[in-house]
Amino acid sequence: MSITLQLLFTGLGIGSIYALVALGFVLIYRATNVVNFAQGDFSMIGAFLMVVFAVDMGLPYWLSAVIAIAAMAGFGILFNYGVYYPLRHRTFLPVVISTIGASILLQNGVLAAYGPHPQSLPAMLPFPGIAVGGVFLDSQYLLILAVTGAMVVLQYLFFERTMLGKKLQATSQDKEMASLLGIPVALMIGITFAYSAVLGGLAGILVAPLLFVSINMGSTIALKAFAASIIGGFGDVTGAIVGGLALGVVETFGAAYISVPYKDGFAFLVLFLFLMVRPQGVFGEKVAEKA
Amino acid sequence: MTKYGLTALLLCGALTLAASQSIAAETLKIGVVAPVTGPAAESGRFQVNGAKLAAEEVNKAGGVLGKQLELVIEDDQTTNPGAVLAFSKLAGDSDIPAFIGSIRSTQVHAMAPDVIKTGKPMMIGGTDPKLTHMGNPWLFRFRPNDTYSARVIAEYGVNVLKRKKWAIVHSTDAFGTAGKNALADQLKALGAETVITQGYTNNSQDFTPVALAVKAAGAEILSSYVTFETDQGILAKQMRQLGVDLPWIGSTTISTTSALRLAGPALNGTWGVTDFAEKSSPASEAFSQKYMAAYNTKADVFSAWPYDAVTVLAKAINDAGSTDPEKIRAALMAISGFAGAEGTYDFDQNGDGLHGYNIVHNDNGTIVFERRIDFKD
Repeated sequence: MSITLQLLFTGLGIGSIYALVALGFVLIYRATNVVNFAQGDFSMIGAFLMVVFAVDMGLPYWLSAVIAIAAMAGFGILFNYGVYYPLRHRTFLPVVISTIGASILLQNGVLAAYGPHPQSLPAMLPFPGIAVGGVFLDSQYLLILAVTGAMVVLQYLFFERTMLGKKLQATSQDKEMASLLGIPVALMIGITFAYSAVLGGLAGILVAPLLFVSINMGSTIALKAFAASIIGGFGDVTGAIVGGLALGVVETFGAAYISVPYKDGFAFLVLFLFLMVRPQGVFGEKVAEKA
Repeated sequence: MTKYGLTALLLCGALTLAASQSIAAETLKIGVVAPVTGPAAESGRFQVNGAKLAAEEVNKAGGVLGKQLELVIEDDQTTNPGAVLAFSKLAGDSDIPAFIGSIRSTQVHAMAPDVIKTGKPMMIGGTDPKLTHMGNPWLFRFRPNDTYSARVIAEYGVNVLKRKKWAIVHSTDAFGTAGKNALADQLKALGAETVITQGYTNNSQDFTPVALAVKAAGAEILSSYVTFETDQGILAKQMRQLGVDLPWIGSTTISTTSALRLAGPALNGTWGVTDFAEKSSPASEAFSQKYMAAYNTKADVFSAWPYDAVTVLAKAINDAGSTDPEKIRAALMAISGFAGAEGTYDFDQNGDGLHGYNIVHNDNGTIVFERRIDFKD
């Protein structure tokens, strides 16, 4: 029993990270109809900013996190103007290639600036974790679960209860109609990129004490997060969260009870089954494009 | 106009040819395949630094065959296709008589067929025993192979630490799988039992299932063949968190500078086998001091083997008095009792230069040399 709970806890913890990154994918997809393949690198950038502020400059942890997240918002806007905006009237493919190029540029840029040595970041909470029964609750995983939960609630309130949130939703549903209603579409897309960068950066900051900070840390997470967003229903916010959590749990249990070397395989096996049986995902609509 | 253009072009061509010939006359090129980018870029930097340090010393001492040694470095991107591509670029340069290959067994395997086709010697650091036992006459190993690391791990764990029930955690790549197989065989030979074997894929984010399985298996000692430092760090932290406090002997990665920095106290008290230990011999100590002076970082195995490889290769080419591949090969085979940073080189008929390992202990974050175990065969 304690083993099952331990696995469930770890699975949900790692799943929360997939969920945060998957949310970033989905929000940008909804706003621009484009998959951002540099989404995982947003996490890497966020984690490196944290190393710069908290370790190299020695700022307090909370202050470093605040500055890093603010910097991520700015980074998202720059990313929008550098990578998406110039190609906004082009088809899907050039933009996707542009994001892949940005991903390579970001990884090698950080490599050139920071060197290939992986960095470590101390855990954020002052205690290593709590042992409940036979289950060890790692403080970092607890923090990840709490922050992801809070983000989900905040995001719901933001999109449903604020004017800005509603404008963003309108933009993602129908850009032409939104602009006829006087919503500044380009600005809304800029804000979406900023918010997605914040989500990705947050995931990177949260996961850094567990997985260390290296230039390719975002790649594996992003691949799983992308699978999670398809399982949940691509373009669906709830789906991204549920898909992320489910994927974390499935791969952890699959590894424990069937085979550790095939851990990554379980995630993609689930993806494969969904693509065959229910390609629109758990929460997705059958019609891919809204009218 | 066209006529002048053509003349100018020919002139340019002739000049370039002359320039390249004059460079070829001054330097002797050695090709180096190293991970400059990708997951192993970390160790790639050590590899290049170690090789450069040796080349500088060789050049100060008069170079090779009266020429200055020049390292031509190609990035293998830490991938097999990258390694093959990097090697083919180097192999295409006929001025290069020999190569320094990868420390990753997987990548040496990928390049091995092309090395045979090229017919020139390659110094390697990969420790999969098969690499020098598959009839490829051109691979020369500058680290002891994994049968030795496995023999030393088993010898120390069973006969010194007196542990009979073993857990093995290993990467599923060529290095980890070969190490696991060799260790299981050695344990069987010494009458110990492997109670659990757990493989994982490189760049795993979570080792909870591995730790829980090891904990439940009732092992008395843990041994590991881990490829990447980040995996080593995460594995160590989670093992300790989930209450696996077994004595632990790991393959080389467990005592590297980066793994210690990443894992912190989670690796305290562990033993590691390492072909390179600072205090294991006067030659190792001298190399460590020179490396520290040059790069202001502690040397480790990733920099020690290419240092030895370049030094020994330069000596072999000088001994051979020629860049003819067969002659270099014969000169390498004749190397005997050469004290390098990694140990004393005696190449056997397979191309293995070293036949033993050091055991080191992690005393609260400081790596301390315990003993050297060498085998005659």
